[in-house]
Amino acid sequence: MSIEPFRRLVRIVARAFYDEEIPAKGPNRSKSDKSDNRGIAVVILDALTRRQWVKEDDLAKVLRLHPKQLRRTLRVLEEEMLVIREHRRETVKGAKLYNAAIAAVSEDHPGGREGEEKLKVHTHSYCCIDYAQVYDIVRYRIHRAKKKIKDQLEDRNTIQEYICPNSSCGRRYSALDALRLVNPFDENFHCENCNAELVAESDKLAAVELGDGDGEDNARRRRHEKLKELLEKMDKQLQPLTVQLSRVKDLTPPDFGTLAQWEKRAIAAGRMSSNGEAIVDLPKASHGQGLTGTPMPFLGETKVEVALAGGDVKREEGKDEAAGGPTKVLPPWMIRQGMSLTAEQRGEAKLEMKSEDSAALAGPTAPLDVKPTEEDNEAMQKKIQEEYLKAYYAALLQRQQEAAQMAASAANGNMSTPGDSTVGDGTSEALAAQEMKMDGAEDEEEVEWEDATATGAMIGEDNGGGSGEFEDEDEIDWEEG
Amino acid sequence: MFFHIYLERNMQLHPRHFGPHLRDKLIAKLIQDVEGTCSGRHGFVVAVTAVETIGQGLIRDGTGFVTFPVKYQCVVFRPFKGEILESVVTMVNKMGFFAEAGPVQIFVSNHLIPDDMVFQSGDVPSYETSDGSVRIQKDSEVRLKIVGTRVDATEIFCIGTIKDDFLGLIGDPGGAT
Ligand SMILES: [Zn+2]
Repeated sequence: MSIEPFRRLVRIVARAFYDEEIPAKGPNRSKSDKSDNRGIAVVILDALTRRQWVKEDDLAKVLRLHPKQLRRTLRVLEEEMLVIREHRRETVKGAKLYNAAIAAVSEDHPGGREGEEKLKVHTHSYCCIDYAQVYDIVRYRIHRAKKKIKDQLEDRNTIQEYICPNSSCGRRYSALDALRLVNPFDENFHCENCNAELVAESDKLAAVELGDGDGEDNARRRRHEKLKELLEKMDKQLQPLTVQLSRVKDLTPPDFGTLAQWEKRAIAAGRMSSNGEAIVDLPKASHGQGLTGTPMPFLGETKVEVALAGGDVKREEGKDEAAGGPTKVLPPWMIRQGMSLTAEQRGEAKLEMKSEDSAALAGPTAPLDVKPTEEDNEAMQKKIQEEYLKAYYAALLQRQQEAAQMAASAANGNMSTPGDSTVGDGTSEALAAQEMKMDGAEDEEEVEWEDATATGAMIGEDNGGGSGEFEDEDEIDWEEG
Repeated sequence: MFFHIYLERNMQLHPRHFGPHLRDKLIAKLIQDVEGTCSGRHGFVVAVTAVETIGQGLIRDGTGFVTFPVKYQCVVFRPFKGEILESVVTMVNKMGFFAEAGPVQIFVSNHLIPDDMVFQSGDVPSYETSDGSVRIQKDSEVRLKIVGTRVDATEIFCIGTIKDDFLGLIGDPGGAT
């Protein structure tokens, strides 16, 4: 799942750069407006990492902020290129489209809002984090900051200035005037006005301490020390950010597209999710995709809205085709599935499909095992993993019994491959291996758990295939285990 | 950087040159007038390479001088910020040193000279490292990077730096290059 590192990136950025009072840009901030907006940007950005596109009014309600206050901060964040916003005048229908999309995508926005609000034609604003841009912007910002300090540190690319020491004159010259300033007799720089010998201007940082009067060299050295200190401090303080940036480097940033594109995709994905239940998170969406035999969508009241939106979708599809966007067929999280989805996720999906009881257990935990980092709640995660493990091993046992039965029946049938003789050994080995893992699970939970699910994925796939070859593949896997 | 460009100029020619060698005279005068000059826009004119067209002459009332519009091709040299040049040191003082790259004058101030090079006054003022292995003085050859230019209508002056990789002394005075 490639969204989580980006979420974390945004959260770090928020804390690194927007934790302070955000100076309102623009002229329309009155003096009487003394609302303390310290830290609000962090809250807003955090909230946005948990959402995709969101209506700003809704966001304000959830965060219990005044819409104006929210908008002011969002405007700043938009200028900082972290957030993209869209404004549109919309009728009831347009709002319904959004509500349908939100219902399909998130859990904290229950659908069914269309009844309570009689929407006139209003301008509504929506906002969303542009993760790709955040990544670029943050790198650029750090690069610029570093470059500025380094250039100053090394005096690189700077043009020296000279001052006339004569207090009654005090003229300033730059090195570009050097040719005119050279005195032909002593070959030094002299003021054009009073002919006093010029002195090089030291930087502002050192200017404060120049009072000691212990010379230019000392001031220069002290300035160097200060700059070096500053650079070190910056490196140290931004270290979590740079680490996260490098972690994110090779990942594809989540892209929700424009508001219209996102709505269309969200609704499409919502229709695909099994039993019409709301998609809790992106991984769930890929889940829905992972199931080959998608159940018929539940046709409820919301689905009527979806059908309504379907008309819009078609129109928009035509528009997109004109633009030639290749992403229109599959939402990006689905496309990315192949690249970023680990075997464990696929394994869960197969397990769900395989046996009902394991699906019942794995179902609720499946989205959560990607989510917990969001809560940063390790205890919770452990619990979930333990539960998952239990459920998984139960399912696995059942599976192996089934496999043994199948192998037995296959041996009776037309199967004459050498594989069938090894099946029994393979499964028993596997059982032993699994038991060992059970023991080790307490200590090395994380690793073991991932391992186990990886093999689980193989089993699921093999059984999904259900062909005669599966014993061979099984065997290889067991040996790995 | 060098450019090969077309330029135009109105040449005034004294009536005494009118005759079979008018064209040669005109070109000789053009070269004399133009080569070595500097314009802020095009840089230094290094050489006239060809005369394209010489237009109809116009006799000036009262003087008898004739004005010819001449279109010619020439090589110009125009320094840019960020460009690397090789130059010869012309003067060293405690503020830095001056150098020439062809027609361009460049000043390298002492804070754009590596920190390990220190100014040494004396008969031959110089910047040198503490072990004396590198010594920049008058007539030394130095590779530098331009960090700033001042472009006037008739003059271009540059600020250079030798505080970067591969910059600095490339040849001692009188040394073969
Ligand atoms: Zn003065």
